Order: sequence, then C-alpha cells, then structure tokens
Amino acid sequence: MSEAIITEQLRREFRVDKEGKRREAFVALDGVDLEVNRGEIFGLLGPNGAGKTTLIKILSTLLTPTSGRAVVGGFDVTSDPYSVRRIINMVSGGEHSGYGILTVRENLWLFSQLYGIPNRVALERIDRLMDIVGLSDRARTKVHKLSTGQRQKMNFIRGFISDPEILFLDEPTLGLDVETSRVIRKYIREWVDGRPDRTVLLTTHYMAEADQLCDRLAIVNQGRILACDTPSALKRRVGQDSVLEIDVSAQAGRLQDLSGLSAKRGVRRVAISSDGQGALTHKLSVIVDGDGAIPGVLEFLAQCGAIVTGFKKTEPTLEDVFLELVGRRLTGENGSQVAHKG
Amino acid sequence: MKTDLKWHIRVNVKAAIARAYVRVVGTNREFSWIFFDTLLPLLGTAAYVYIYRAMDAPEEYVGFVLLGGAMTAYWMNVLWNMASNFYFERQGWNLELYFIAPISRMAILAGMAIGGMFMTTIRAGSLIVLGSLLFNVSFSVSSVPLVVLTFVLTLVALYGLGMLFSSLFLMYGREAWHTSNLLQEPVYLLTGFYFPVRALGFYIAIAASIIPLTLGMDAVRQLVFSHLHFGLLPVHVEIAGLGVLGVGLLYAAGVALERMERAAKKEGRLTLRWQ
Amino acid sequence: MAVGSRQAVECWRTFRLAAWLGWQMESNWADPFLFSIYSIVKPVSHSLILVVMYLVVRGQAAGAGLFAQMFVGNAFFLYVGQILFGLTWVIIEDREFYQMFKYMYVSTPNMYWYLLGRSFAKMAIATVSVVIVLAFGKMFLRLPIHASTVDLTMVCLSMLFGMVSCVGMGIGLAGVMLIIARHGGHASEAVAGALFLLSGAVFPIDILPRFALYLAKALPTTYWLEGVRRGLLGSGMSQAMAAFSDRELMIVLAVLSLLSVILGTLTFITCEKTAKSRGLIDMHTHH
Repeated sequence: MSEAIITEQLRREFRVDKEGKRREAFVALDGVDLEVNRGEIFGLLGPNGAGKTTLIKILSTLLTPTSGRAVVGGFDVTSDPYSVRRIINMVSGGEHSGYGILTVRENLWLFSQLYGIPNRVALERIDRLMDIVGLSDRARTKVHKLSTGQRQKMNFIRGFISDPEILFLDEPTLGLDVETSRVIRKYIREWVDGRPDRTVLLTTHYMAEADQLCDRLAIVNQGRILACDTPSALKRRVGQDSVLEIDVSAQAGRLQDLSGLSAKRGVRRVAISSDGQGALTHKLSVIVDGDGAIPGVLEFLAQCGAIVTGFKKTEPTLEDVFLELVGRRLTGENGSQVAHKG
Repeated sequence: MKTDLKWHIRVNVKAAIARAYVRVVGTNREFSWIFFDTLLPLLGTAAYVYIYRAMDAPEEYVGFVLLGGAMTAYWMNVLWNMASNFYFERQGWNLELYFIAPISRMAILAGMAIGGMFMTTIRAGSLIVLGSLLFNVSFSVSSVPLVVLTFVLTLVALYGLGMLFSSLFLMYGREAWHTSNLLQEPVYLLTGFYFPVRALGFYIAIAASIIPLTLGMDAVRQLVFSHLHFGLLPVHVEIAGLGVLGVGLLYAAGVALERMERAAKKEGRLTLRWQ
Repeated sequence: MAVGSRQAVECWRTFRLAAWLGWQMESNWADPFLFSIYSIVKPVSHSLILVVMYLVVRGQAAGAGLFAQMFVGNAFFLYVGQILFGLTWVIIEDREFYQMFKYMYVSTPNMYWYLLGRSFAKMAIATVSVVIVLAFGKMFLRLPIHASTVDLTMVCLSMLFGMVSCVGMGIGLAGVMLIIARHGGHASEAVAGALFLLSGAVFPIDILPRFALYLAKALPTTYWLEGVRRGLLGSGMSQAMAAFSDRELMIVLAVLSLLSVILGTLTFITCEKTAKSRGLIDMHTHH
C-alpha cells in the first residue's frame, strides 16, 4: 500500500453542555477525506479549534470516530488499534509528560520499553538523539528541573525512540528556540528521507516551518479540509504572479534598453527606478507570471550589458493562502457557498 | 503467530518492569515516606490495640489488629497506587503515551502494583515486627507455606480487583476518585480489618467475601493464630475461594479495561483532563 | 487606602475565593443525590468499625458509658482527618495535577490565607459528617445526648479552639508538603493516625505508657475532645483529664491551640523559604 494514512468521510462529534445543561453536538471533524503517502511529510495547517488535534487523536487510536473510516499503515484504527500502535508514535507540543522525579535518560528509557526496544539499542538511540537536539548535558537532570524548551526536546526524542513507521508531530517546535527548531526540522527531513516507509503527519502554526518541511499540506478549518496540495501549488492558487526585485548597474545611455524588458514573454510589468540621470545603479521591479519567465529576464539584462548586483523574488506566502482560504465560506461541487474576502 | 505472541509477551513484561522501575526509583529518590508511611502508621494501628485494651478484650485481638494494619497497607496500595493511577497519569499527561503504545493496560497496572509493593511491604513488615515487639504478640503459625500461599493468592486477587476499579478511571475522573475514597472505610468494616469477620454475621461476611481481603485475612489469621477458633470458613475453602476470585477478578479486569477504554474513546473522555 | 488595610482586604479576598474554590472542588463532581450518599456512607462506616469492635468484645454496643465516650470521640475526630488531609492535599493536587500552584502562589498576598480558605470547605463537610454520625448514634445506638443537658458553651468553645489547633497543625503539615515528593501525600493520614492514638479519641489516655501519656497531655486535640465530651455527655473519658475543671480545660486548650498555630505557621514559613530557595514550588514528582 502506497498510502500511509487514509481517511474516508471521517466525522467526529462531541456532546457539549450548553446553557440550561442541554447537551448539543459539536462537530470537530466533518467528513474528512485524506490520503498521506508513504515517505512524505504531510502538514496540517489550520486555526485553533480547526480539528487538527482531534484528527491526530483518531489516527493515533486515542479517540474513535463518530462515523467514517481511518486506516493507518494499512490497519483500521477502530477494529485493529493494536497493530496501529505498533507502528506509530506521537509528540505533542507543550505537553508535560514524563516523571519529574526521574532523570531525562530514565524517562526516555521508560518510554522505549513500552515498545519492546532492547536496552542496549534504546540507550544508544537515546544518547544519539540527545546529542542531536543538544540535551546530552542534561541527561542526568531530573525532569522537573528542566526548562520548557528542554522538556520539549525530551518529548521530541521520545517520539523517535521507537523508530516508528508513522510519526504524528503536533506542533513539535513549540517552545523551542530558533536554532533548536532549525536542528529539529533538519532532523525530521533527514529521518524521513532515511527510509522510504517513514511518514510524518505534522501540525504547525509556523508557516515557514510548513513551507520548508512539508511535501504536501492540508488547510483545515471547522473540521473540513479546504485545500490539499504542495506548498508551491497552494501558493499559486492564491496568485500566479511573482515579483522580481533586481538591482543592476548599467551605463546611463543604456536605460532604454532596460525598459524593453516589458516586451519579453512572461513579463507583465516593469518599473525602473534610479537615483537620477546618469546613475550607474538601477532598481528594477519586474512582475512575471511564473518562474518560467525568469531566465528570459536575466538573459535580456545580460544582453543589455547590465550587471545584476542583487536579486530577490517575492511571491504569495502560505500565510496568504491560509487567510485567503480560511477567511471565506466555501462553495463548490459539494454545495457549500463561496464569498470573496472584502 | 508464534513470533507475534513472543513479542507481545516480551513487550508487556518490559513495560511492567519499566513502570515498576519508575515507582521504585521515585520512592527511593526521597525518603520522607519512611517516616510518614512506616513509623506513623504504626501509631495509628496502635490506637486500635488500645481500643481493645480499653474494652478489656482478649489479647489475641491485638494480633488481629496488627494483621489488619498490615493489610491496610496493601489495600491502600491497591486503591491509591494502582486503581486510581490512570487518573493521576492522565493529569500528568502520561496516559496518552501509554495508550498509544502497543502494550496491555494490565501490564502497566501490574508494573505500578509491583513497584508500589516495595514501599507497602516495608510498611506492612515493619508494622508486624515492631507491633509484635511492642505489644508482646506471639504467633502460633501452623504452616508457613500455607501462609505464604494464602498471602500471594490474596494479593493476586486484590490486585485483580484494583485493576477492575482502574477501568472506571478511564471513563470517569473525580467521580471515580471519590468512589475510591468512599471505599476505604466500608472495606475496613466489611472485611474485618480489626476484628474477626464472623462478627458481622455469616451471610454478611460471605457477601463481603467478594472482596479478597475478607477471605485472605481470615485465612491468614486462622493459620497464624492456629490455637484460636474464630474463622468464617475452613482455611482450605478460603484458599480455594481466593484462587477462584483471583482468576475471576483478573479476567473481569481485562474485560472491563477493554470495554471502558472503548467507551471512553467513544465519548472522548480518555484523555480529558480535570474532569 | 493604608497599606495595612489594603493587605487585609486582599487577604480576605483570597480567603473568600479559596473557600469558594474549595467548596467547588469538593462538591461539583457528582449530582446532589450521589454526593449525599457519599457524605453519609463514609462517616457512618467509619463509626460502625468501632461499633462492631465494641460489639465483638462486650456483646452489645449502645447506650452510655465507655461506648458513648468512644463514639463521640470517634465522630469528632473526623474533623482532624478532614482538615489535615484537606490542607496537605491542596498542595499536592494544585502542584502535581492541576499545575496551578505556582500561579496561585504568585497571585495571592499570602499562601497562608489561600490554604485557610481551602480548608474551610473541608471543615464544612466534616461538620455535616459529624452531625450525621451523631444523629445515627442517637437514633440507633441510644447515644445519651439530650438537648436539655448539653453544655453548648463548652461545646462551642471546645470546637472553636479545637478547629484553630487542627488548622494550625494542618498548616505546618502543608508546609512540609512543599518540600517533599508526592508520595508524602499520605502524611496527613499518618499524622492523623498518630493523633488518633495520642489524643484519646477512642480510649482513655490513662492506659497509654507513661511517655505517651505526657505526649498526649501536650496535644490540644486531647483537650478538645475532652471538652466536647463533657459538653455533650456531661463527663469526660480519662482519669488523667478529670483533674482539670471545665475552666482550666478551656484555658489549657486555648493556650495549646495558640501554640499549635504559632508552631504550624513557623513550620510553614521555614518550609516555604526552603522550597523557594531550592526551586521546589512547582516541582513535579508523580511516579
């Protein structure tokens, strides 16, 4: 099976107390269809209360769906949870798990034993992972003396100890400093790439993290998946155009040549600014309708004798995608309504 | 299939050992329990000795109180260090991690029980030894192997009962905790912690025999004070009863844990903290 | 507003809110019917243990004399267990499970008032339990408590000082909880057990060994229970206490209660300082 995770019309309702003690149904997941391929890092992006953690809880067998089906690693989470548990692990950001009175190493060893890992192998993995995240010097520190970030590092290590096929990471870099987050993201990528059957389902609020790490993303809101694609494709949905900010140096007499850039294929608009007549440096803002136009632009500049001293490309971000999708009600073939954001 | 079963057994044994390790090491990282869990409880048990002395009770009742006091330690271990531990694990954010691991819930509970037995046995042992010395209690043990067998069977059945209770904590929070709290005194009463259970009347005592402590304590008392005659049932009947209870309660615990876990996942209460 | 009166207002506010929180924690886990069952079964079972013990030895358990003295002492001793447990469990529960202790600590002017407020709910529940047990004793065991012969002044004064002493001891024990691990949560039961022995709750302290008798006479709970017995039943249980007149008994109780508050508070302050210096205020020791 090439899919690590499949959900079909997954629905989860909770009964919540309302005023006057009536219990009403709150729909946390509303017919979620999802396919996560083996070997990919799949991201879930959504606002608070969108249903991301509920979905992870179902997939990790902590919650049963109200209706629908979820299959993890080829095993149904409802009818065969034991088989699912053998191949998964989970790390949640901000969790306080562990035993404060035990050391970091002891806690990690404990959790390794829940997966039947031989002692020698477990301790080797623990030491290696502590080295990677920079926790080796705290190995013998009691957990209740750790800082929030150090505790999160320990939680992170715990998720990898069992070397699962499928790993659920629920905001794994929450509370971590920039450098450690970078190390962890790098490790996640290397870990997934290290074996073809390893898969990660990641939830995060950090757009840059999702953009950098995820092979594919799903935008979730109010229990529904609004969009699912690669980060680039999602960004292209919001707007195809990219803006190139190019710094060039050219002789004053060649300015006209530069303005001919607007006639090039794929170039929508060109704006040239300089510091005055006879200036040697110019700033070009070139709006192109896709990456395919970039080589043509650079070739033209070279033919004009302009020397490119600076180049920057800006394009729609995931944040734009997120706001664009989450800020609108949906109409499509499924009969829900669309309205553009004002 | 054979490899699977072997793996299944191995991982559950490892999980139980690891959980027991947590408890034993945690207990030994800080020794306040020696005073609060060993010396002071002796004073509490001594109070019941003096109650009997104030009533001019026969001296053998002092022995009953000592044995009852020792068993109190195991009952408290079952109630607070095992049965309600899923409640505490949930509050401590660990329950989810146990429940996504490929292990039996009973393995975790067994680990907690075994780990807690260290402190409990020291408490019970010191109570018997020091109490016997302080109050000049003499025992006339008819058969040491039978005493050991009875004790082991009682513990197995008792921990089975504890596992059964623990299933409640998967679904409920403070209601289950308060239920555990509620069970302390009625169990002391109905199982005859401080008096021969026959004093409650035959039928009440038989009904109370569903709690393993009733038969266990009665049998141990009969074996340890063999010159007296106060037993509810013959010792061999009580030992057989404990065996049946042990098997029955462990089986019931397994079923209850599975059903309650399913119900809790359906309701979304398994990982719901502070309920 | 002057600093002193502002602090007093803050302390009162802390006390009031803690009392409300304590009551919520104690009562909102079940519907009223279940809560009532719980409130009746627990204390009555506790008393029935003593009743059966008496029955087994003496053949009958009712009426006046030693049985009544034991029963009343046993009933009122419920306060000790509840208050000690309540005060110590607040620390453990807030620190280890709800992890709110550090927030409470930094928001209150004085943790002392927070603990006092939380203990108030326990006192209220203990009062209900004691009333239920005494009613049970009166209805079914012919407990000789008659409205016409009850010395209300004696009972009220004894209760006032008795509660003060229990709270004082509880505060000291709560302080100890700040510096020990969670397994120390059994400490309250253990200390209550020791007091059960030494306070003459269920037997005359005369039968204790000499050294224990001196200890018993140094405890405020001994005088409290003696005072309550005299007020309700007209006489106490121990020869050792018979030497005190009612007035002398109350004076000694008042002094010892004040001492227990002072010692308890000093213990709390010392342990609090230790906890702060060792970074233990928000430690997590569940195992």
